[in-house]
Amino acid sequence: MSTPHEHETPAVARDIPGTAPVAPADPAGTGEWRRLDPRTLLVHCGWLAAPLGSLALTALATGGRITARAWITLAAVAASFAVVTTIGLIRWARTEFRIARRPDGAGAPGQGRAALTLDVRSGLLTRRLRSVPLQRIRTVDLTASPLHRLLGVTVLRAGTAGSGDGRSELSLEALAVPEAERLRAELLAYADAASAENDPVLARVRWRWLRYAPLTFWVVGGVFVVAGSVYRVLDGIGIEPWKLGFVQQAFSEFGASALWLTIPAALLAVLALGSVGAVALYVENWWNYCLEWTDARTLRVRRGLFTTRSVTIERARLRGVLLREPLLLRAGGGALVRAVAGGLGNREENRKRSGLLPPAPRTEALRVAGGVLRAPFPGSGAPVALAAHPRVALRRRRVRGLLWAVLPGTAVLAGLGAAFTPVLLHCAWIYAALATALVLWLARDAYRSLGHGIQGPYLVARSGTFSRDTLALQREAVAAWTFSTSPFTRRAGLVTLTAAVAAGEDGYRIPDLAAAEAPAFAAAAAPGILEEFLLRPGAPESPGHLPEQRLP
Amino acid sequence: MPEHAAPLLRPPRHRVDPRARQWWTVQALLTLSGPMLLTAVVMAVLSLLFFPGALPWLGPLLLVVLVLPAVGYLVVMPRWRYAVHAWELGGRAVYAAGGWFWQKRRIAPLSRVQTVDTVRGPLQRRYGLATVTVTTASTAGDIKIAGLSDADAEELSRRIGEAAQDVPGDAA
Repeated sequence: MSTPHEHETPAVARDIPGTAPVAPADPAGTGEWRRLDPRTLLVHCGWLAAPLGSLALTALATGGRITARAWITLAAVAASFAVVTTIGLIRWARTEFRIARRPDGAGAPGQGRAALTLDVRSGLLTRRLRSVPLQRIRTVDLTASPLHRLLGVTVLRAGTAGSGDGRSELSLEALAVPEAERLRAELLAYADAASAENDPVLARVRWRWLRYAPLTFWVVGGVFVVAGSVYRVLDGIGIEPWKLGFVQQAFSEFGASALWLTIPAALLAVLALGSVGAVALYVENWWNYCLEWTDARTLRVRRGLFTTRSVTIERARLRGVLLREPLLLRAGGGALVRAVAGGLGNREENRKRSGLLPPAPRTEALRVAGGVLRAPFPGSGAPVALAAHPRVALRRRRVRGLLWAVLPGTAVLAGLGAAFTPVLLHCAWIYAALATALVLWLARDAYRSLGHGIQGPYLVARSGTFSRDTLALQREAVAAWTFSTSPFTRRAGLVTLTAAVAAGEDGYRIPDLAAAEAPAFAAAAAPGILEEFLLRPGAPESPGHLPEQRLP
Repeated sequence: MPEHAAPLLRPPRHRVDPRARQWWTVQALLTLSGPMLLTAVVMAVLSLLFFPGALPWLGPLLLVVLVLPAVGYLVVMPRWRYAVHAWELGGRAVYAAGGWFWQKRRIAPLSRVQTVDTVRGPLQRRYGLATVTVTTASTAGDIKIAGLSDADAEELSRRIGEAAQDVPGDAA
């Protein structure tokens, strides 16, 4: 290893009296310059794969006889390789970074700790030094292409709140993965300690988030909705699309060719169309997006390209934050944030206006949620310690899925198969096997999502698999408690608790709690509501059967 | 915390008026059971008059699909409801239990109460009953106590009104 000093980086200190709990004590050996990982050089060779591969294919196809043209190509490739490698080598050799104290060595005013900066210097002839105070750093992304992953390196990008356009973003390409993670921890430890309240701007749009746009249901659903409405419009003005010449021609041509090709091609087309639509929608909705505290008591969201929207939420009416992770978005590591606030209008208006953050990386979502609450959102630091729900809730989810998804489909297919053709019988068992596997997996995921707890002034509840929602709700905002049961949950010893809030969607459900623990949890989460109706088992007073009692 | 120490939510102390059972029965007859039974009778008569051959399979079908569910609902629902429905006005909160198959217990503190409505429908008036609805700022926090006797409803709404004034709070 050519950079042995990397391993002497002091760990982040967490126990210094008088400082914020997670401030680094003396980061990075007081400003020693560090290098990028030498494996970065290999990453630059990655683009060679395409020309060399095609050359190899040519050689294979022609039986090893490489023509003069191919030799010229090879020479050109070799020359470019030399150039690129040299440039890469120079860039690697000349790029250094460090975490340093401010040149004047003075602490930020009013904060008893030294101001630290992340410095990056680069360039061969034009030397360039860019330095960002650590308090300004809001996000640290680690991204790795497949080639990066193969080599065990990753690209680190440190962004400030105002770096939506990439101007004030620092990018280190590339670092060894452990090194990158250590650096991220160092950077974020300080950034968290300084917290968002110094900076009124919580988030601005970053077009790198566009990659999350296609990860929504509307990618597929939207295409059908649009197709349906186009059809309706055409139908309305008297055109029947099926009778148009070119439609019929296309249909007959496609129908004549192999279905193997047509169906996947059609699916791909739908997906591509849907993705374009989703991206367009994202751009329209979140153009110029900015989430900021305009003053100490007012949170403002501005966004929109053609329709510009600006929503202002008074802090007193902000009752909590909802972190939403729909299934696909969650698989892509993304999340979005909604406000639980009063006065945003009815349910439909609330849905449109409560969005605080578009689909974005999960870490970013957690940071924004924390900035809105002005307290760390549960799960942003250590993993949340949410109380799990009884295992019988898992069984309930499995049974429900099997009853409502697997059984009807299998029964219909099997019935039709028995009546008409044995092909459908095979379809039935294949469907049953696949659907069962899927249902079991989803049930497990849904069960794992379940959790509830109390964190400081917030009630935290998480549930859902198609959309995993984590709610942080002000405990004092709970206006009423509802315990709902059905004969099935009563037998299983479960109860669904609903917190009524005069904000957001009005009622927030915590499904399938243990019936024996729910009252205690409700009482602890929002004191002063149900204590007088609680009964300690074993206490002398027992109402037994209800008397037919009138008011005295 | 040991499990046996966990407190339980006891049911509210007061049952609704016993006449509520009759009210619910008539209601079931008017809304669900009656129309279902009527449909079954009409279909059976039509089939008897015009397609006597269909009776052997139509009869059992009507019995299973329409008659039994209708009668079952008529018999079971009012009793079950009466066993579940209950209410209580505590020192700091209102507490009500409702439903039959799906049951709900809801507690709202008096400090959050915004309005108290007493509603008497035509059918309820016939049995001297009333429904008291306590609204809060959240639609998920509204408490509805159905099947109270007139006198109880009046007394309850008056008491909730008084108590809500005594308990400080802005109801938000």
